Amino acid sequence: MAAAISAAAAHAQSPDPRSAAVIVTGGEATTPIPTLMEGPAANVANLEVADHLFLRLANLGPELITSGDRSFVPQLAKSWTRRDSVTLAFDLDERAQWHDGVPVTARDVLFTFERARNPAIAPRLAELLRRIASVTAESDRRVVFRFSRPYGEQLYDAVWHVAPLPAHLLEGIPPEQLRQSSFAGNPVGDGPYRWVRSVPGQFIELAANERFFLGRPGIDRLVVRTASDADARMNLVLSREADAMDNILPPLTNLERMAGDKDVRLIPVPSPTLGFLLFNQRDPADTSRPHPILADREVRRAIILSLDRGLLVRAVYGPYGEVPYGPASAILWIRHGTPKPAGLDRAQASRLLSSRGWKDSDGDGVLDRNGLPLRLTLNFPASSAARRQMALLVQQQLRQVGIEVVLQQFEFPLWTEHRNAGRFDIDFSATSQDPSPSGLTQGWSCGGGTNAAHYCSLTVDSLMQVAIGSSDHAREAWHTVLRRIEDDAPAAFMYAPSYVYAVNRRFGNVTIRPESSWLLLWKWTTGAPAARRTAGY
Amino acid sequence: MVTLAIALVLIFILMRLAPGDPLARLSEDRPLTPAQVVALRARFGLDRPVGAQFVSFVGALAHGDLGTSIQYGRPVIALVSERIPATLLLGGTVLLLNFTVGVWLGVRQASRRGGAEDTALTLLSLSAYATPSFWLGLVLAWLVGVKWHLLPAAGMEDPLLDPAAGWLAHAADVGRHLVLPALTLSIVSIAGTMRYQRSAMLEVLRLPYMVTASAKGLPERAVIWRHAWRNAFFPVLTLFGLWLPILVTGSVFVESVFAWPGLGSLAVGAVGYRDYPLLMGSSLLVAAVVVTASLVSDLAYAFLDPRVRLS
Amino acid sequence: MTVLLEPLRLAWRTPRGRAGALVLLAIAAVVIFAPPFLPDPLAQPDPIGGASLAPSVTHPFGTDLYSRDVLSRVALGGRISLVVAVIAVGLSITLGALVGLVAGYFGGVVDAVLMRVVDAALAIPRLFLLLLVLAVSERVPVWALVLLIGATGWFGTSRIVRAEVLRLREESYVRASEALGASRRRVILRHLLPNTLGPLLVAATLGVGDVILLEAGLSFLGLGIQPPAPSWGGMILEAREVLVTAPWAGLFPGLAIVLTVLSVNLVGDAVRDAVDPRGA
Repeated sequence: MAAAISAAAAHAQSPDPRSAAVIVTGGEATTPIPTLMEGPAANVANLEVADHLFLRLANLGPELITSGDRSFVPQLAKSWTRRDSVTLAFDLDERAQWHDGVPVTARDVLFTFERARNPAIAPRLAELLRRIASVTAESDRRVVFRFSRPYGEQLYDAVWHVAPLPAHLLEGIPPEQLRQSSFAGNPVGDGPYRWVRSVPGQFIELAANERFFLGRPGIDRLVVRTASDADARMNLVLSREADAMDNILPPLTNLERMAGDKDVRLIPVPSPTLGFLLFNQRDPADTSRPHPILADREVRRAIILSLDRGLLVRAVYGPYGEVPYGPASAILWIRHGTPKPAGLDRAQASRLLSSRGWKDSDGDGVLDRNGLPLRLTLNFPASSAARRQMALLVQQQLRQVGIEVVLQQFEFPLWTEHRNAGRFDIDFSATSQDPSPSGLTQGWSCGGGTNAAHYCSLTVDSLMQVAIGSSDHAREAWHTVLRRIEDDAPAAFMYAPSYVYAVNRRFGNVTIRPESSWLLLWKWTTGAPAARRTAGY
Repeated sequence: MVTLAIALVLIFILMRLAPGDPLARLSEDRPLTPAQVVALRARFGLDRPVGAQFVSFVGALAHGDLGTSIQYGRPVIALVSERIPATLLLGGTVLLLNFTVGVWLGVRQASRRGGAEDTALTLLSLSAYATPSFWLGLVLAWLVGVKWHLLPAAGMEDPLLDPAAGWLAHAADVGRHLVLPALTLSIVSIAGTMRYQRSAMLEVLRLPYMVTASAKGLPERAVIWRHAWRNAFFPVLTLFGLWLPILVTGSVFVESVFAWPGLGSLAVGAVGYRDYPLLMGSSLLVAAVVVTASLVSDLAYAFLDPRVRLS
Repeated sequence: MTVLLEPLRLAWRTPRGRAGALVLLAIAAVVIFAPPFLPDPLAQPDPIGGASLAPSVTHPFGTDLYSRDVLSRVALGGRISLVVAVIAVGLSITLGALVGLVAGYFGGVVDAVLMRVVDAALAIPRLFLLLLVLAVSERVPVWALVLLIGATGWFGTSRIVRAEVLRLREESYVRASEALGASRRRVILRHLLPNTLGPLLVAATLGVGDVILLEAGLSFLGLGIQPPAPSWGGMILEAREVLVTAPWAGLFPGLAIVLTVLSVNLVGDAVRDAVDPRGA
């Protein structure tokens, strides 16, 4: 018996000559297949694993610019030409092939876009691709996109949202059965890694695609582990059971803990997260009437001036966060060149408030006007440690100018319900932005889907349309939009952090991409072959 | 089985009444347009009246179909059955430890009542019980897993273990991953078991026939184990009935801290998501286990003490 | 008030009971009288430089993640935690004892119905029952919350009590008492109830710890105490993120809970000894 055990141990211990990397993430990738990632499946975990398996026509360049035709990096498409203001032609790389050896052709692109543009099959994608009028093939390797009108992000829409799927494997499967098909359990792609196996609830194993036409991946085995708890993720990296983890969450003590391990490198990456205090412009009790306090722009401006936002960001994110100007997270390329956001100015805030009639007439420390005290509720989801920490500080800071803030924390679905129904005074919102600034219409245009505060400025709406339409002067046009929004003060923009990744130092040439973390993992190199990481033997 | 039915109806109603909507989570990052919301509601059957939803749930249940999870997009039965082995392993180990170590310690405490050992164990068990399980888990994971590097810090398997390595290597791997979460859960639950067992033993030891047996001169050990133990087992049997479901669904905190892929974390995630099908499926499982456990312990009462008449 | 003091009076008879009672009184005194003399538990004087400081002269228990003084938060937080614990647990064991006694003694249909209800309730996660309240009204006052926690915590206790009663009702002295014509109420109160004090006591002791942590979990859901108001359970949950780097933030509220549980146990043991008709 003892001999058998030690023999087994010895067998397990014999070094595997293949190099390996283990990443641990918070979410589980259950359907990493383009066009299937709808609704709850459109989560970061699925998107990131899909990026290992499936290749896009082109990737974003290092500056993440989404406008124009020039700043993209060829992937499946080796080149493209613009024929006119509404037509783009792509030439596919002849070397590209699916993991089963079949070459990637125009037929695959057409097949995928036919499904992706169908609202019955993929409503989210269809919405994103709505400005594509047609996708046709001129030859085996040439695909032509026609758009409904001229606008700056045509190339972005054609290449970014969906990666092509293998038509030869999927044509026979009706879309509604794709999820249960054997393909879903064993996807075949054309990317740098191919599927090996999935152990549900635990990890997914991928293997290097040795015939990857852009270069052989430096790491042979890639394991993506799941651990929903942040402490578990950190422990796995510190115990060397994992090599890399995504985003070390606040509080700052976590960062200090990881920084204390000298074999782990911390890599800050601009994040798509944007946090802001949204001021409800309608009365929560009756959304047809304006908000008794917050409908007044000067009051909103005064609130913003009463906050030391720099201090708040430093308290929660340390050096890894910024105060945003307008609704622009760190991932939006338009944020470069914007003015500095307003700082703390309590004197001016008090002046503004008293000029609008807010005085402390009963000496209780809280301003009031016509018997109405300046008291506001602040809603936030209990699950966000960052927002909880900031909300406490916001309450403290606003009290110093005589504004009373009542904190209300909610379970996440409840918080969302309150937000969507407009039942809040101030809502501590956070969104995760796409690299394209056109996503700003969601929250800041008059009919925007997430515009829960009913902020409506026709000027901003038309400025946004101009910016979306422009190609060469897009940056300036978007800056005009941001300035107008800051002027109108519909929200106090609180934080645009960087994510901090932790990667074991034995990997070289490590790049983490803001738009999809592990996109360039196939280019990493590893020094020594993987030593057995298990403890206890 | 009436109980099961009642419980199911109650759970269903409660879930529907509780505020919050599964679609709330979906619009977390990428907001949905009204058209998308309508389409998704139709897909998940949420646009039909509650009564109709329940009827179709029961109908599907009769065919062994528990529906599709909103969060994962996969059949509930598949999701639940994937998690059962891990849950049984952890729960089973903890139960075993409870009913061996826990009972033994409780009995031992009772037989040495008032002594230094009893006091120390009381102190220890109460402190252990009052300690949050996630605390204990985090401390153990950090100390044993990270600092001393003796055992894995999280997970159930080593992903880099060669799949062809043979069942013994795999068993050893899972075993090593099992130690810390089982230890965490056991410490907390054994603390409770000890208290109940001690209290029950004390009751029995004071009974007249026990005093008589002691007076007759039988060696104390024999007295305890042969006469008292059986009767003192009653409350512990009830404990079995109570703790079995808790341990089947696992301690959610322990599962999350150690990334143990059990049912508990699946169920709680479903609550936060308002993932109705998954919630119903896992609740059904828990309810079935509770009912079974109650039945088993009732039968065991009758078996252990023939004087007990059951209704 | 006298209901609360009666157990303490009984406990005073033995040295261990006295120790337990003293500790409880001390905790209560600190919690009631100390807060005005301590720094503001809600203030965050220095969120960047003053966060997670180790215990020192200025901050005997250190500061937490948000630079708040832990000692004053433990003192103030004890108010809500103790009130919740005492009332909720009291309610739970009362209900549990009642139902268990009735079901176990009367048997038959009564037992069947009661136990089906208990089983069904056990099968429903406690979380759901509490979430239901949100459906009825979103802002739940603390007293209602406490009653609810108590009302959802008796199911397991009732099964344990019932098991004891099932065994005990066959005992010779119970049978004798019945044969002599004692009323049912007398039998229950005189013979059965005192003997179930054992498990009830354990349930109470363990329940105190359970309830405090449950209350913390509920505030996470938006029920109960809203930040920045402190409670022991809430402090432990918040301190989870700094468990390794700043253990004092969770250690001291945890110690407070353990001390409370221990002293409740000592008092309870003494009470049981005093009440037990057959003596220690």
